[in-house]
Amino acid sequence: MASGQQLTRDDVAGIAAYARIALDDAELVEMTAYLNDAIALLQPILEYDLEDIEPTFHPIGDMANVMREDVPVPGLSLEEALANAGSREGRAFRVPAILDDGGGA
Amino acid sequence: MRALRQVLKDWEAVIGLEIHTELTACDTKMFCGCRISHDDAPNTNVCPVCLGMPGALPVPNVEAIRCIVMAGLATNCTIQRRSMFYRKHYFYPDMAKNYQTTQGPVAFCMHGHLDLRVAGEAALERPDDTAQKADDGSYLARIGILRIHMEEDAAKMVHVGGAEGRIGGATESLIDYNRCGTPLIELVTQPDLRTPEEARLFMEGLRQTWLALGISDCSLEQGSMRCDGNVSLRRRGEVCMGAKTELKNLNSFKALHDALAYEICRQAEVLESGGTVRQETRHWEPTRRRTTVMRVKETNDDYRFFPDPDLAPFDLSDEFVEECRARIPELPDAKRERYQRQWSVPTYDADRIAGDPALARLFEAAVARAGVAAAPMVANVVINLVPGHERLNEAQVASIAQLLAQDAVTFAQAREVLDVVDGTDDDPERVVDERGMRQSTDADALDAIVREVLARSEDQVRQYCEGNRKVLGYLVGQCMRAAGGSGNPKAFNRLLSERLETLQ
Amino acid sequence: MPATLDQLSARQIAAGVASGAFSAVEVAQAALDAIAERDADTQAFLQVSEDLALAAAARVDALRAAGRALPPLAGVPVAFKDNMNLLGTRTTCASHMLERYESPFTATCVQRLLDAGATPLGKLNMDEFAFGSTTDSSAFHPTNNPWGLALVPGGSSGGSAAAVAAGEVTLALGSDTGGSIRQPASLCGVVGMKPTYGVVSRYGVVAFGSSLDQVGPLGRRVEDVALALNALVAGGRDPRDSTSQACEQDFIAHLDDPIEGRHVGIIPSLLEAPGLSAEVRVAMRLAAERLEAQGAHIVEVSLPNMASAIAAYYVIAPCEAFSNLARFDGVRYGYQEPGCATLAKQTSLSRARGFDQEAKRRQMLGAYLLSSGVYEQYYLPAQKVRTLITADYQRAFERVDAILMPTSPTVAWEHGAISDPAALYLADVFTISSNIAGNCAISVPVCLGSESGLPIGAQLQGPSFADARLLTFARALERSCSMEGLVAPGFAGRGGELA
Repeated sequence: MASGQQLTRDDVAGIAAYARIALDDAELVEMTAYLNDAIALLQPILEYDLEDIEPTFHPIGDMANVMREDVPVPGLSLEEALANAGSREGRAFRVPAILDDGGGA
Repeated sequence: MRALRQVLKDWEAVIGLEIHTELTACDTKMFCGCRISHDDAPNTNVCPVCLGMPGALPVPNVEAIRCIVMAGLATNCTIQRRSMFYRKHYFYPDMAKNYQTTQGPVAFCMHGHLDLRVAGEAALERPDDTAQKADDGSYLARIGILRIHMEEDAAKMVHVGGAEGRIGGATESLIDYNRCGTPLIELVTQPDLRTPEEARLFMEGLRQTWLALGISDCSLEQGSMRCDGNVSLRRRGEVCMGAKTELKNLNSFKALHDALAYEICRQAEVLESGGTVRQETRHWEPTRRRTTVMRVKETNDDYRFFPDPDLAPFDLSDEFVEECRARIPELPDAKRERYQRQWSVPTYDADRIAGDPALARLFEAAVARAGVAAAPMVANVVINLVPGHERLNEAQVASIAQLLAQDAVTFAQAREVLDVVDGTDDDPERVVDERGMRQSTDADALDAIVREVLARSEDQVRQYCEGNRKVLGYLVGQCMRAAGGSGNPKAFNRLLSERLETLQ
Repeated sequence: MPATLDQLSARQIAAGVASGAFSAVEVAQAALDAIAERDADTQAFLQVSEDLALAAAARVDALRAAGRALPPLAGVPVAFKDNMNLLGTRTTCASHMLERYESPFTATCVQRLLDAGATPLGKLNMDEFAFGSTTDSSAFHPTNNPWGLALVPGGSSGGSAAAVAAGEVTLALGSDTGGSIRQPASLCGVVGMKPTYGVVSRYGVVAFGSSLDQVGPLGRRVEDVALALNALVAGGRDPRDSTSQACEQDFIAHLDDPIEGRHVGIIPSLLEAPGLSAEVRVAMRLAAERLEAQGAHIVEVSLPNMASAIAAYYVIAPCEAFSNLARFDGVRYGYQEPGCATLAKQTSLSRARGFDQEAKRRQMLGAYLLSSGVYEQYYLPAQKVRTLITADYQRAFERVDAILMPTSPTVAWEHGAISDPAALYLADVFTISSNIAGNCAISVPVCLGSESGLPIGAQLQGPSFADARLLTFARALERSCSMEGLVAPGFAGRGGELA
């Protein structure tokens, strides 16, 4: 989908599938309208002349090389780790059938 | 399917590797202070950061950064002073945040290479007209390394209900986050490899380098070093790349070789019958010795990469890089060279020892004691006698090497002696003397026995002169009997041969 | 002896506890009493943590009994926006997604207030996951502005502002990504500060826009806010937050310094902005006059790229939001849709049911903007705009020490009166650029609108890491505006008696 164009309902359905947010038909219609409105609000960005400007990814300009020493720090106990789990099996978190092999680490 | 070497005469295989290595030398994970887990009970090395809990924030492990810089320096990469961490998004439960913290277009290490020396059987896979081969058939290949970047490992999942614990057909999966967040370096090669043997040698060489640096235990079986390959074919002379397939589950050097070999032949068969190779990911099945489709890659995954706002960018100082450089020990290639050039150690022995940091340490310490002249024999001992005697110290190795070099004991005797001293501080020489095992090296005494035996063995002498060389063994035995406990079979063999030749 | 707790400043409470005029437990009980009385109307709280409060207060009293020196905020009642982890509470972000989520650890900013001796009274309402400027998008219930219960308190830290304005607590912590501390502070007539990015640790605060979020204090007087800030930076930078900066300033020491001879910038074009109410325009003029009366020079400055800040913000914020909320899949914690046969279904339905509308919208927008091909067109230019805005501020601050502008274009409005998201987005115009540039900003109540009778705050913005000096200006403004310590009418004195 090219920018400046409107998103179609199919485009939005694709984004929803990727972002793992189930939307019913009514919600899809609404979301499509919302996204197109939001993108319209963002149009000014496309018109700026930003040719020689460097992007700033972090607000603190000179922040660099922040690291920590390789020293162990106590973490959570098993019970603490699993305390909020929706499903668990013994000492593991449980999920239902995964049908694909993931993105690939 | 045709055989590999036949196929490679007609087709050029273009092979690239992606190698992930866990930095098991670090004490803690990449972005949090949890210990790196070694078979601990599930979900006991975790914290809010590596569990991706709301509000948790990452802080990079400085030792991991040092390890990757060392890895880059050791593989001739340029160390990029400026780089950032990026977020790579995909929904999968082994990634606690549903994004992996990794690097973007600029990695810590870029544009390196490793040189392979391919010889012997391995060199036969490469068609002669595609490499500069020496008289013995060996050749050098420079394999480009595109980049080495820093990232974090995923959790371990156990799939329940499917076949062989595979994900296909599983009804549920159980997740252990102990491994999640372990520092991982990913090395991506240029597609410069041309044969499965080259790929295997590259992997072995890389593993030796990482072991020498001490950054990882590099276990393919346990998964602290993992290799994915990709391969495509093209007609000789073509420049364009063919469609490539990715290969996974290559958890041994043999699997790496065999999977690539199979895949090359499979692709050739497809192309030669007029078909097209599909861009897909295939899984190597070692028992059935074939690759099968995991999933078809129709579109590239869009990972929504962007620079991680929670992590400061890097601008590594020269000091930092030089400190890392100073930590790099002599690497296997350099050792190999030095052992051969300066110490006259034979190629095979030099290869084996240089590639194993523990053996190299023992070897060099023993040579320091035994003297440089004894180095080839020390190498011999390290290769052939040390395995099976795991607790020898360098003094013992040096001592037994000297005894062997002096011809004071046979190899079989040396083995016996080491059986005795292994695990103790005992001096091999003392054991030899105690047991009266020392062979005579007194040339005159030995010669006298030789002459005496020859004198009473006219039959055998005649047989030898008629061409039956086997009687030499019998004559050596006779000499040994005459010598009692202080015989020296090698010496007898030599003296007998010399005398017999003069009698011809 | 004042009748009720809400008449005391933080300093006075700490001094009273230290001197033995009253115990920390008595203060805690007064606060609980005030909350019980007043919160039925404001609905500022999501959880009141009575046990934690009494335990913390008892510990302070024990210290005093042992003859030990008391920490600077001993016994002071505080509460926390519900996106801040506190062990012993649930941290819900006002979302069904985290309705049952129990904090496994305490956020650094929260811990530092506790270490300073403050008494934790509970967790405060907010817009779901901090997306919004009304607090109406809380999944549980709205919060009502103490100055008019039919009105919104602003957002997303609406609960924080309302609880302070109604005198339920002395101090509250909020978070500010595009104005979420300052705007509700203005609408509720209290002081609210967004410190320079990096001054206060974000560790333990549920992330929305990582490069924009800052935690900050709200209080009924500038001095209370300054004391809270001192506690927040005590202990140095936070090693658990890579973006945390060392900040050695003492925010109290120079609070009352004169501003004579200093320069304050104003941007006249902003006061002509469409949508700016007449009342607010009057309040701004008043604020400028009062600063001038204390010897400050008012100077015209410009921030030429300010107009593009909204677009840049609405690119960067949703992208970071999508990324930060991707972790909510119901696996390790959070709402899990029951009875799903596959993981993809479980994830999609958990997220569909766990998130309300605005949260879904922001994530979808972010997912779109980060996609291949689109990223280059919006995200990278947005970060370049950030460079321009940062440079604009640097140039302006070469000429002035602080910039004065409105916080919100209007006073508080009725629940549901503004339903168009775009209109709400545009209302962030005055606050957003400080989040983009990272510099410090504070809203100080100036007056009540002559028509509406509702509070109006003026915003002062300062250069990065000049937070202490910004507070000096805020104090100067406060001194001349006689709204210091004000509790919303109808709430003062209701419950919260100190024995």
